[in-house]
Amino acid sequence: MGQQMEINDIITTRNLSKYYGQIKGIDDVSIKIPAIGGIGFLGPNGAGKTTLIRTLLGIIRPTRGEAYVLNYNVKTEINHVRDRIGYIPEYNTTFIPDMTAMKFVAFCGRMNGLSTIESKQRASDSLYYVGLGEERYRKLGTFSLGMKQKVKLAVALVHDPEIIIADEPTNGLDPNGRNQMLELIRNLQTDQHKHVILSSHLLRDVEQTTNYAFVFSNGHILAQGRIKDLTSAKVSTISLRIKGDESKFLDEMRNKGFEIWQERGYIEVKKTNDTEKAIFKAAVNSKVEIRYLGSRSSSLEDVFVSLFKNKEEAIQ
Amino acid sequence: MNERITNDAYVRKFSFRPFTGIRKGRLYRLWSISWQWWAHEWDRSRAVKILFGFQIFTLVITNLFLLVMKDFMLLGDPTLTTTKMLENTLIELVRGLVSFQTSISGEGGNGGDEMDFGFTIGGMSFFILILCVLIGSGLISDDMSNKTNEIYYSKLEKHEYILGKFGAFFLFGNIIITLPYVLEFFLLFIGLGGIDFIQVLPILVHVIVFTELISLTYASIILAFSSMSSRRLYAGLAVFMLIFLLSMIIPFLANTGGGEVGFQLLFDVLTMLLLSSYILNGETLIEIDLLGREHLLDLADGVGIESWAVLGIIGLYIILGLLLVIFQVYRRHSN
Repeated sequence: MGQQMEINDIITTRNLSKYYGQIKGIDDVSIKIPAIGGIGFLGPNGAGKTTLIRTLLGIIRPTRGEAYVLNYNVKTEINHVRDRIGYIPEYNTTFIPDMTAMKFVAFCGRMNGLSTIESKQRASDSLYYVGLGEERYRKLGTFSLGMKQKVKLAVALVHDPEIIIADEPTNGLDPNGRNQMLELIRNLQTDQHKHVILSSHLLRDVEQTTNYAFVFSNGHILAQGRIKDLTSAKVSTISLRIKGDESKFLDEMRNKGFEIWQERGYIEVKKTNDTEKAIFKAAVNSKVEIRYLGSRSSSLEDVFVSLFKNKEEAIQ
Repeated sequence: MNERITNDAYVRKFSFRPFTGIRKGRLYRLWSISWQWWAHEWDRSRAVKILFGFQIFTLVITNLFLLVMKDFMLLGDPTLTTTKMLENTLIELVRGLVSFQTSISGEGGNGGDEMDFGFTIGGMSFFILILCVLIGSGLISDDMSNKTNEIYYSKLEKHEYILGKFGAFFLFGNIIITLPYVLEFFLLFIGLGGIDFIQVLPILVHVIVFTELISLTYASIILAFSSMSSRRLYAGLAVFMLIFLLSMIIPFLANTGGGEVGFQLLFDVLTMLLLSSYILNGETLIEIDLLGREHLLDLADGVGIESWAVLGIIGLYIILGLLLVIFQVYRRHSN
């Protein structure tokens, strides 16, 4: 068993890389995932999230580097790792269409070493937990996409793993199904005390279910930390519309040291201390009328888009 | 699960029974997945059940025919014994599993894939091939099309997955192919009566080894094709066409117009399996009928096709199929 890992980290990787021939999956990823309940893997498609997950599960072998899950070495003790991780794959699995949900989930339980009786009991319980108790004897071919996603969650839960890794679990779901899935993922942390790793390109999904995130891009980790901290650098602006000599107003503001620019028909002023007061003073001095004034906070998406843009430029 | 609360409280709170924490070993898991995969293939196909029923029906008819005719046959041929009847019937029955096109007879001149009393059972090979294709062609291809292999790979080692698939087919082979003929052996043994068990034990061993060899060869070929396509239909058709067409075309190519048989015959899987039955029986001089022309095939004369070549080529088919499955699962399915 790996001894080097700190007790509070559920997953540690060191210089983990995976190349598919010349194509980079992940490159020199060194992370420590703390045991704090919900963790988000955030990044656009193709950023390396799924590659890292598949490497941790031993589905693909890393090109170099090492990884530990709950103190087990992924290379040498992968079966211990697999018994302790429940995985919701990204793919739109159609399962075995002519098999009942109950049979399939129990079968997956037996693959993780559960006895026949216990696998049936836990399959039933898991399906009830995800809200498919009444449908558990229905054939999987008759299930909707949302129900299939729930079956995936039941499969991930059936062997009582310590860690649940959900890779894009809300893919293709309608708003109602999406909320249900996110609710289930939240409950897993609070009710079942599971460590949940949610991998998604949707910031809102990650923000709603976790409070710590790793941001991926181009096979690298761009940033990591509490989501609150990651987004604290977010930029807010004040948008204005004025009537009168715009250039005079802009010069007036710039002379006072404000960052100001025009965007989509509005004048944007970067918000600092007493920005509003300065705007009114500048309007009086430059004899313009303020027709509209409103603050515009950058959305999380904006923050992450700018983060990706800046970091990728730095890497290149 | 949380250990701080009692089981009852746990169930009340989460509607979940707590996990006992007991996990079974790898062998149990392997057995479990093999059984599940085989049982599911059996469950899903009505055609498989009908074909299996037909096979059992044929065996029962053979049995009844032999038991009814036993006394007449013994009276008609004073040299015939019940032991000989059991041997002739059973060996020819299992050879019928693969004698599709080529007619072969051994040194004893027992009529090849036809029984002494002219009861043709060679057609069984056609049904067995269809059964094997129906069961085996979807074993891996369905996982690809349903995208369930990602779930399996997150729970199993890839070699366990491959062994599980082979295990599933092997279970099928044992239940659908081997077991009925082993039961047939005991039914004939009891029905014919007056047979020394030790004397006929080699026949039982022959039946088991030969049917297992058939299962293994079919498993390797069918699973190899199944791993190459995500459509069970394409995989099944490819296997069926390959084995069926080869057994039709190869005898034509190997027909040299008398004398030694051409090496092309080595590519006919069914004939090779059939020849292996003779080799298992210790027979090396074999009359082979290729498209109506008689050839005498000596498997121990150092010329042309030899016993080692027959067994070697079967081994090669098995190994090639296995390697192809391994390559597909480890390389193509894992990207």
